[in-house]
Amino acid sequence: MAGGEVEVVDLVKMFNEVTAVDGINLQMPAGEFFSMLGPSGCGKTTTLRMIAGFEQPTSGQILLDGRNMAFTPPHKRNVNMVFQNYALFPHLNVFDNIAFGLRRDKRPKAEIRRRVGEALELVQLTGMEKRKPGQMSGGQQQRVALARALVLQPAVLLLDEPLGALDAKLRKTLQIELKELQQQVGITFIYVTHDQEEALTMSDRIAVMSAGRVEQVGPPQHLYEEPTTTFVADFLGVSNLMTATARGESNGRCKVSLGEFALYAANGDVSTTGETRIVIRPERVRLEAHGTSGENRIPGMVERVVYLGNGNQIIVGLAHGERIQALVQNTGDELAYRQGDPVQAYMPAEALRVLTDTGTAPLEDDPRARPAVRPVEPIAEEASTPNVNV
Amino acid sequence: MSQALAPRRESEFGYTQRLRGWLGNHWGKPRFLVLVTWSYIVWSIVPVLVAIQFSFNDSRSLSSWHGFTLKWYTSTNPNIDSVFHSAELRGALEQSMKLAGLDVLIATPIGVLLALGLARWRGRGSGASNFLMLFPLVTPEIVAGVSLLLLFSQLLTFVPFGTVAQLLGHVTFSISYVVVIVRGRLFSIGPSYEEAAADLGAAPATRLTRVLLPLLLPAIVASAAIVFAISIDDFVISQWLSNGANSTTVPMEIYDATRATPQPSTDGIATVIMVITLLSVVAGVLVYRFFTRGESGRGSAIDDVAGFGI
Amino acid sequence: MYPRWLWPLTALPGVVWLLLLFLLPLYAVLGVAFGNVDPVLLQPIPAWNPADWNTSWFTHVLGQLVPGNAFWDVFVRTCEYVGLSLAGCILIGYPVAYFVARHASRTKSLLLILLVLPFWISYLMRMLAWINLLSPGGYGLRFLSATGISSVLFHLGVISDPSNYLGGQSFTVILGLIYGYIPYFILPLYASLDRIDRSHLEAARDLGASPFRAFWHVTVPLSKTGLLGGAVLITLPMFGDYYTPNIVSGAPTTSMIGNQIDLYFHGGPQPTIGAAITILLSAFLMILMLYYMRTIHRASREIPA
Repeated sequence: MAGGEVEVVDLVKMFNEVTAVDGINLQMPAGEFFSMLGPSGCGKTTTLRMIAGFEQPTSGQILLDGRNMAFTPPHKRNVNMVFQNYALFPHLNVFDNIAFGLRRDKRPKAEIRRRVGEALELVQLTGMEKRKPGQMSGGQQQRVALARALVLQPAVLLLDEPLGALDAKLRKTLQIELKELQQQVGITFIYVTHDQEEALTMSDRIAVMSAGRVEQVGPPQHLYEEPTTTFVADFLGVSNLMTATARGESNGRCKVSLGEFALYAANGDVSTTGETRIVIRPERVRLEAHGTSGENRIPGMVERVVYLGNGNQIIVGLAHGERIQALVQNTGDELAYRQGDPVQAYMPAEALRVLTDTGTAPLEDDPRARPAVRPVEPIAEEASTPNVNV
Repeated sequence: MSQALAPRRESEFGYTQRLRGWLGNHWGKPRFLVLVTWSYIVWSIVPVLVAIQFSFNDSRSLSSWHGFTLKWYTSTNPNIDSVFHSAELRGALEQSMKLAGLDVLIATPIGVLLALGLARWRGRGSGASNFLMLFPLVTPEIVAGVSLLLLFSQLLTFVPFGTVAQLLGHVTFSISYVVVIVRGRLFSIGPSYEEAAADLGAAPATRLTRVLLPLLLPAIVASAAIVFAISIDDFVISQWLSNGANSTTVPMEIYDATRATPQPSTDGIATVIMVITLLSVVAGVLVYRFFTRGESGRGSAIDDVAGFGI
Repeated sequence: MYPRWLWPLTALPGVVWLLLLFLLPLYAVLGVAFGNVDPVLLQPIPAWNPADWNTSWFTHVLGQLVPGNAFWDVFVRTCEYVGLSLAGCILIGYPVAYFVARHASRTKSLLLILLVLPFWISYLMRMLAWINLLSPGGYGLRFLSATGISSVLFHLGVISDPSNYLGGQSFTVILGLIYGYIPYFILPLYASLDRIDRSHLEAARDLGASPFRAFWHVTVPLSKTGLLGGAVLITLPMFGDYYTPNIVSGAPTTSMIGNQIDLYFHGGPQPTIGAAITILLSAFLMILMLYYMRTIHRASREIPA
């Protein structure tokens, strides 16, 4: 099976007066595992449904191997979809569900039997032909949905939050299987999810979307390590976001001031000046005993220690008024800090990033428009909860 | 949800592309279905509107329009059988209202109690009782009429035909509707409120009157409205169990008129009964909405109305 | 939580009522149908003890129910009327229910109210409305002849007199039955179409089915329960209907089973025969009902909510 190359050009979708997709451009090379990641309402599912053909673009192009498909009805596109709730036909058994597309294509009986058998083998469900979807577990239904789409040998497979309905443990197993499956069949996977961990684990590249626009595209590591906007930094993983004033660049580093304290940031948009936002990941913050000196250190007080099993999350109130969290790995030694202890927070220049919120001005309803000074919640939000294995 | 408003963009499609999109539109509404649906709606409602119109016709004719009058409703002229003053039509109206009112008063409490019993009684006879309750819903009206007629003429001969027999018949075929509606509500409420009340120290009697009854009230009101409407519209049972002229109901009056010569006042009395039915249903819906306002997980008012129909 | 005797006790009045006034009457029908007839007065002499049952009247009626006899024609005619009315209800009702469930977005609430409205207008009034329309000089008659529909129907042999729709025309009876019962057909069908998850249709399209094939292979099977439910809901009362043919026709040539029963009770003094026909009709409808329940049971096993 050869993968198909998908390209969307200036894609816009409006529902009445509401813009769901606001002029996005994406390139998805053949054979890539590409994820669209974002909160609900960011336009990722609408984009996927336009690629599948269920929605007609308001304007723009959808190219499959260079051919514009924007006007091709869904049943004539060589792309297939795995639906969020699987959409297995409840009145048909597993065999008939998987054979549905082959029958519409008028394939001979023998070929249908052979190909359905191969598809079932691919998803390890051989022997389940006669079951009805209602008699299967969520994980099995998910595999049937995969087999039903893959049996048609599409150039591109679209997946709309296919693991959303499953429990956490099964999700983990299936994430790995899905990635292996994609490498095995070698076709392009376009995967939509709001779960950052899922996207980071499986994807070759991720597009982070917000309010109908693409915020940033890149490989998982790139997005995590080098977010360019507040939204991406905030949405992927846990971030300490701080408001600062940039005082100018020297030696490739940007001097920023937070209240009466000065820090140097070596990453991101270091040449900027004026009001800006800087970010540092909790695992890069180092806590030191009170009184140590050196650059990029701000004194503070431990406000709370949260035990996470594989580490400790320590909330520190900094002297200039903002709060940050630090992640200290569990090494077996007793933790040196308790609630109320004065500490020194060391934020190395190479771990600090200056963000650029380029592109459009923040929109009313945009998460980016929230107050920049946002205390880090002691208990992180759902989307950014570090994975806790108890 | 971060859906942003943006100015409408100029379409970037070419003319031919747009034409193709319109012709091969797999995304738009099928125009054929729109036509069928609205034709059906017009067909289903316009004849009734015409009947209403002719109840205001200033002539005996039911086919040509001679101007507006209220005389078929209010005239006291003995030559005109007006709805409110002819002894026959007025009597039919009163008989219909009397039967419907008494039906509500008797069938609603019996039905509510039966619903409670059938929903919670798990023992010998409960399954059979459930079955027994469902049967009147699928019994063709003529079978109901024949069986009650033979019951009162051959077995329970002390029951006089006329109002008493009609009322017994109406109640028999109303109870099941009350049960179905109230039991549906009972299931959607679930046992947790009463368990909470018990946990807070409420005795069984208090739980029934202070917790369950108020929660069931919307369904009780709804079922009362439906029983009223069903009873008022009933024709077959009323006809089979009548004793002649003084137990004629409005549907019987309409039936007799259509087999002789219908007059504008026939349209008139049908209109009056229709207005009364619609008012009772609308009142039922409004009261239902009032009592269930703010409850989450419930459908729209429309779903409730649609549910009322079934 | 509550005393064990409470719930049987609350059920008691209703159960007793239904036993006395629903079940006992059905037994009264059996007693009369399997009883004797007073040879002078022709009044029924019911037999309440099944041991005394006399099946001669019942077999007499059964004997009439063979080709060439009186009841056979009526029975066949009733089946024809009901079958054609059901077909009409499906042809008109399915597109309407489908449109309201799938495509009516902003007008959905309005359309639902309009679909439910006929429920609350007396059946008799709705028939009366057609008498108004189809009487000589009525709007409906004028519309039908002005548009040429009348002459088309006449030349097709559907009606025997293009100016008289109310004098024994089968066409008018079927029209009346469709008009009277179609609202009861559309609503359950709408409910089942509305429950179909949109993604099932999209999945069918995604897997290469054209819009028609997606409809045929997915929508129709998934709406089977609603289709059957609506069909049963209108078929049972249509088989027992006698007032619709009486109102819009009144001629013996359009008489249905219900009219026969009505006649034996209200026209001639032969309630015994009427009761026997009632039992046959009930038995026939019971078979329909059992078939329906078996199908629904199967469907609900296949398609868990």
